[in-house]
Amino acid sequence: MEISRKEEGGIAYVTIKGRLDADNASQAEKTVNSVLEGNADRILFDLGALDYLSSAGLRVLLGAAKEMKRRDGKIVLCSLTEFVKEIFEVSGFEALIPIADSVDSGVKFLS
Amino acid sequence: MPKKKHSFELKSKISELDTLCHEMEKFGRSLGLSKKCIFEINLALDELFTNIISYGFADEKEHSIKITITPQNDMLCLCIEDDGLPFNPVDVEEPDLKRTIEDCKIGGLGIHLIKNLMDEVCYERCGRINKLTLKKNITATDCG
Repeated sequence: MEISRKEEGGIAYVTIKGRLDADNASQAEKTVNSVLEGNADRILFDLGALDYLSSAGLRVLLGAAKEMKRRDGKIVLCSLTEFVKEIFEVSGFEALIPIADSVDSGVKFLS
Repeated sequence: MPKKKHSFELKSKISELDTLCHEMEKFGRSLGLSKKCIFEINLALDELFTNIISYGFADEKEHSIKITITPQNDMLCLCIEDDGLPFNPVDVEEPDLKRTIEDCKIGGLGIHLIKNLMDEVCYERCGRINKLTLKKNITATDCG
Protein backbone atom coordinates (compact mmCIF):
# COMPACT_ATOMS: atom_id res chain seq x y z
CA MET A 1 0.00 0.00 0.00
CA GLU A 2 1.22 3.47 -0.86
CA ILE A 3 -0.48 6.59 0.39
CA SER A 4 0.33 10.19 -0.44
CA ARG A 5 -1.27 13.59 0.14
CA LYS A 6 -1.16 17.05 -1.34
CA GLU A 7 -3.21 20.22 -1.18
CA GLU A 8 -4.16 22.25 -4.20
CA GLY A 9 -6.80 24.90 -4.80
CA GLY A 10 -8.34 24.42 -1.35
CA ILE A 11 -8.78 20.66 -1.86
CA ALA A 12 -6.91 18.00 0.13
CA TYR A 13 -5.99 15.11 -2.20
CA VAL A 14 -5.23 11.66 -0.79
CA THR A 15 -4.00 8.97 -3.19
CA ILE A 16 -4.04 5.32 -2.07
CA LYS A 17 -2.47 2.59 -4.24
CA GLY A 18 -2.14 -1.18 -4.00
CA ARG A 19 -3.79 -3.19 -1.21
CA LEU A 20 -5.55 -1.58 1.73
CA ASP A 21 -6.24 -4.24 4.37
CA ALA A 22 -6.08 -4.82 8.13
CA ASP A 23 -2.29 -5.09 7.95
CA ASN A 24 -1.81 -1.50 6.76
CA ALA A 25 -5.11 0.28 7.56
CA SER A 26 -3.58 1.96 10.65
CA GLN A 27 -0.83 3.45 8.45
CA ALA A 28 -3.46 4.82 6.06
CA GLU A 29 -5.53 6.10 8.97
CA LYS A 30 -2.53 8.01 10.30
CA THR A 31 -2.08 9.87 7.01
CA VAL A 32 -5.82 10.56 6.69
CA ASN A 33 -5.92 11.85 10.27
CA SER A 34 -2.99 14.18 9.57
CA VAL A 35 -5.01 15.63 6.67
CA LEU A 36 -8.06 15.99 8.93
CA GLU A 37 -6.03 17.73 11.64
CA GLY A 38 -5.87 20.76 9.37
CA ASN A 39 -8.91 22.78 8.48
CA ALA A 40 -9.58 20.89 5.26
CA ASP A 41 -13.26 20.96 4.41
CA ARG A 42 -12.93 19.41 0.96
CA ILE A 43 -11.17 16.08 0.58
CA LEU A 44 -10.71 13.99 -2.55
CA PHE A 45 -9.54 10.37 -2.48
CA ASP A 46 -7.93 9.17 -5.69
CA LEU A 47 -8.43 5.38 -5.64
CA GLY A 48 -7.62 4.75 -9.31
CA ALA A 49 -4.71 2.45 -8.44
CA LEU A 50 -6.29 0.82 -5.39
CA ASP A 51 -6.49 -2.87 -6.34
CA TYR A 52 -7.86 -4.26 -3.12
CA LEU A 53 -9.89 -3.02 -0.16
CA SER A 54 -11.24 -4.90 2.87
CA SER A 55 -13.59 -3.72 5.63
CA ALA A 56 -10.53 -2.46 7.56
CA GLY A 57 -9.93 -0.03 4.67
CA LEU A 58 -13.61 0.89 4.46
CA ARG A 59 -13.38 1.89 8.12
CA VAL A 60 -10.65 4.44 7.29
CA LEU A 61 -12.74 6.00 4.49
CA LEU A 62 -15.86 5.99 6.67
CA GLY A 63 -13.91 7.80 9.42
CA ALA A 64 -12.97 10.55 6.98
CA ALA A 65 -16.56 10.80 5.67
CA LYS A 66 -17.96 11.09 9.19
CA GLU A 67 -15.50 13.84 10.07
CA MET A 68 -16.32 15.77 6.88
CA LYS A 69 -20.03 15.49 7.67
CA ARG A 70 -19.38 16.74 11.22
CA ARG A 71 -17.53 19.82 9.98
CA ASP A 72 -20.03 20.35 7.17
CA GLY A 73 -17.36 19.67 4.57
CA LYS A 74 -17.38 17.59 1.39
CA ILE A 75 -15.71 14.30 0.50
CA VAL A 76 -15.53 12.37 -2.77
CA LEU A 77 -13.94 9.06 -3.76
CA CYS A 78 -12.65 8.97 -7.34
CA SER A 79 -11.84 6.44 -10.06
CA LEU A 80 -12.76 3.26 -8.18
CA THR A 81 -11.47 0.09 -9.81
CA GLU A 82 -13.99 -2.62 -10.73
CA PHE A 83 -13.48 -4.79 -7.64
CA VAL A 84 -13.30 -1.91 -5.18
CA LYS A 85 -16.55 -0.59 -6.65
CA GLU A 86 -18.12 -4.00 -6.02
CA ILE A 87 -17.18 -3.78 -2.32
CA PHE A 88 -18.86 -0.38 -2.11
CA GLU A 89 -22.02 -1.85 -3.65
CA VAL A 90 -22.10 -4.94 -1.41
CA SER A 91 -21.38 -2.94 1.75
CA GLY A 92 -23.98 -0.28 0.95
CA PHE A 93 -21.32 2.43 1.21
CA GLU A 94 -22.04 3.70 -2.30
CA ALA A 95 -25.20 5.29 -0.88
CA LEU A 96 -23.29 6.95 1.95
CA ILE A 97 -20.14 8.40 0.41
CA PRO A 98 -20.14 10.30 -2.91
CA ILE A 99 -18.27 8.53 -5.73
CA ALA A 100 -16.99 10.11 -8.96
CA ASP A 101 -15.83 8.39 -12.14
CA SER A 102 -12.68 10.47 -12.44
CA VAL A 103 -10.56 12.91 -10.46
CA ASP A 104 -11.79 15.72 -12.75
CA SER A 105 -15.44 15.01 -12.02
CA GLY A 106 -14.57 14.66 -8.33
CA VAL A 107 -13.03 18.14 -8.36
CA LYS A 108 -16.18 19.49 -10.06
CA PHE A 109 -18.32 17.85 -7.38
CA LEU A 110 -16.29 19.55 -4.64
CA SER A 111 -16.25 22.96 -6.32
CA MET B 1 -9.22 -28.28 -13.58
CA PRO B 2 -6.97 -29.87 -10.91
CA LYS B 3 -9.14 -31.80 -8.46
CA LYS B 4 -6.53 -32.00 -5.73
CA LYS B 5 -7.08 -30.09 -2.58
CA HIS B 6 -4.66 -27.45 -1.46
CA SER B 7 -3.96 -26.65 2.16
CA PHE B 8 -1.68 -24.29 4.05
CA GLU B 9 -1.26 -22.90 7.53
CA LEU B 10 -0.99 -19.28 8.63
CA LYS B 11 0.44 -17.98 11.88
CA SER B 12 -1.79 -15.83 14.09
CA LYS B 13 -0.36 -12.50 13.03
CA ILE B 14 -1.92 -9.95 10.72
CA SER B 15 1.12 -9.75 8.39
CA GLU B 16 0.14 -13.27 7.24
CA LEU B 17 -2.58 -11.61 5.11
CA ASP B 18 0.10 -11.30 2.44
CA THR B 19 0.79 -15.04 2.50
CA LEU B 20 -2.96 -15.72 2.35
CA CYS B 21 -3.34 -13.50 -0.71
CA HIS B 22 -0.37 -15.07 -2.53
CA GLU B 23 -1.46 -18.64 -1.78
CA MET B 24 -5.03 -17.96 -2.94
CA GLU B 25 -3.95 -16.17 -6.11
CA LYS B 26 -1.53 -18.93 -7.05
CA PHE B 27 -4.12 -21.66 -6.48
CA GLY B 28 -6.91 -19.65 -8.12
CA ARG B 29 -4.81 -19.14 -11.24
CA SER B 30 -3.94 -22.86 -11.38
CA LEU B 31 -7.71 -23.55 -11.46
CA GLY B 32 -8.22 -20.93 -14.18
CA LEU B 33 -10.54 -18.80 -12.00
CA SER B 34 -11.39 -15.26 -13.11
CA LYS B 35 -9.72 -12.30 -11.39
CA LYS B 36 -13.08 -11.30 -9.95
CA CYS B 37 -13.61 -14.73 -8.48
CA ILE B 38 -10.11 -14.79 -6.95
CA PHE B 39 -10.72 -11.30 -5.55
CA GLU B 40 -14.00 -12.32 -3.91
CA ILE B 41 -12.53 -15.48 -2.36
CA ASN B 42 -9.49 -13.53 -1.19
CA LEU B 43 -11.66 -10.90 0.44
CA ALA B 44 -13.85 -13.47 2.24
CA LEU B 45 -10.78 -15.28 3.60
CA ASP B 46 -9.14 -11.96 4.53
CA GLU B 47 -12.21 -10.82 6.52
CA LEU B 48 -12.44 -14.13 8.31
CA PHE B 49 -8.71 -14.34 9.07
CA THR B 50 -8.64 -10.72 10.31
CA ASN B 51 -11.61 -11.48 12.57
CA ILE B 52 -9.90 -14.56 14.02
CA ILE B 53 -6.69 -12.62 14.72
CA SER B 54 -8.55 -9.63 16.20
CA TYR B 55 -11.00 -11.44 18.48
CA GLY B 56 -10.24 -15.16 18.44
CA PHE B 57 -7.44 -15.64 20.93
CA ALA B 58 -7.47 -14.90 24.64
CA ASP B 59 -3.71 -15.47 25.08
CA GLU B 60 -0.56 -14.04 23.51
CA LYS B 61 0.67 -17.41 22.20
CA GLU B 62 1.20 -18.04 18.52
CA HIS B 63 -1.58 -20.12 16.97
CA SER B 64 -2.03 -21.71 13.57
CA ILE B 65 -4.96 -21.16 11.26
CA LYS B 66 -5.41 -23.91 8.72
CA ILE B 67 -6.96 -23.27 5.33
CA THR B 68 -7.98 -26.08 3.01
CA ILE B 69 -9.31 -25.43 -0.48
CA THR B 70 -11.04 -28.26 -2.28
CA PRO B 71 -12.54 -28.08 -5.78
CA GLN B 72 -15.88 -29.97 -5.81
CA ASN B 73 -17.50 -30.03 -9.26
CA ASP B 74 -18.96 -26.51 -9.74
CA MET B 75 -18.00 -25.35 -6.29
CA LEU B 76 -14.85 -24.38 -4.49
CA CYS B 77 -14.95 -25.43 -0.87
CA LEU B 78 -12.87 -23.36 1.56
CA CYS B 79 -12.40 -24.66 5.06
CA ILE B 80 -10.86 -22.49 7.79
CA GLU B 81 -9.93 -24.03 11.14
CA ASP B 82 -8.66 -22.27 14.24
CA ASP B 83 -8.30 -23.19 17.92
CA GLY B 84 -9.58 -19.83 19.20
CA LEU B 85 -12.63 -18.92 21.26
CA PRO B 86 -15.91 -20.35 19.94
CA PHE B 87 -17.28 -17.96 17.33
CA ASN B 88 -20.08 -18.57 14.88
CA PRO B 89 -20.12 -15.83 12.20
CA VAL B 90 -23.34 -17.26 10.74
CA ASP B 91 -25.20 -15.94 13.82
CA VAL B 92 -23.83 -12.39 13.53
CA GLU B 93 -26.64 -9.91 12.98
CA GLU B 94 -26.69 -8.27 9.56
CA PRO B 95 -25.71 -4.60 9.68
CA ASP B 96 -28.40 -2.07 8.78
CA LEU B 97 -27.37 -0.89 5.33
CA LYS B 98 -30.11 1.75 5.13
CA ARG B 99 -28.38 4.08 7.50
CA THR B 100 -26.96 7.57 7.48
CA ILE B 101 -23.31 8.40 7.60
CA GLU B 102 -23.60 9.59 11.23
CA ASP B 103 -24.92 6.34 12.66
CA CYS B 104 -23.12 3.99 10.28
CA LYS B 105 -20.95 1.50 12.16
CA ILE B 106 -18.40 -0.79 10.63
CA GLY B 107 -19.02 -3.68 13.05
CA GLY B 108 -20.31 -6.81 11.35
CA LEU B 109 -19.47 -5.51 7.91
CA GLY B 110 -16.70 -8.07 7.32
CA ILE B 111 -19.12 -10.92 8.07
CA HIS B 112 -21.75 -9.27 5.84
CA LEU B 113 -19.22 -9.21 2.97
CA ILE B 114 -18.38 -12.91 3.52
CA LYS B 115 -22.07 -13.90 3.44
CA ASN B 116 -22.69 -11.87 0.30
CA LEU B 117 -19.63 -12.98 -1.65
CA MET B 118 -19.97 -16.68 -0.84
CA ASP B 119 -22.81 -19.05 -1.76
CA GLU B 120 -22.77 -21.06 1.45
CA VAL B 121 -21.38 -20.40 4.92
CA CYS B 122 -21.47 -23.19 7.49
CA TYR B 123 -20.06 -23.25 11.03
CA GLU B 124 -19.19 -26.19 13.28
CA ARG B 125 -17.44 -26.33 16.63
CA CYS B 126 -15.43 -29.55 16.68
CA GLY B 127 -13.96 -29.99 20.17
CA ARG B 128 -11.61 -27.02 20.60
CA ILE B 129 -11.68 -26.08 16.93
CA ASN B 130 -13.81 -23.54 15.05
CA LYS B 131 -14.44 -24.94 11.60
CA LEU B 132 -15.96 -22.63 9.04
CA THR B 133 -16.78 -23.93 5.58
CA LEU B 134 -17.39 -21.49 2.75
CA LYS B 135 -18.62 -22.58 -0.67
CA LYS B 136 -18.34 -20.55 -3.83
CA ASN B 137 -19.89 -21.41 -7.17
CA ILE B 138 -17.06 -21.03 -9.67
CA THR B 139 -18.99 -21.71 -12.86
CA ALA B 140 -21.11 -18.53 -12.89
CA THR B 141 -20.14 -16.35 -15.86
CA ASP B 142 -18.22 -13.85 -13.84
CA CYS B 143 -18.13 -15.99 -10.74
CA GLY B 144 -20.23 -13.34 -8.97
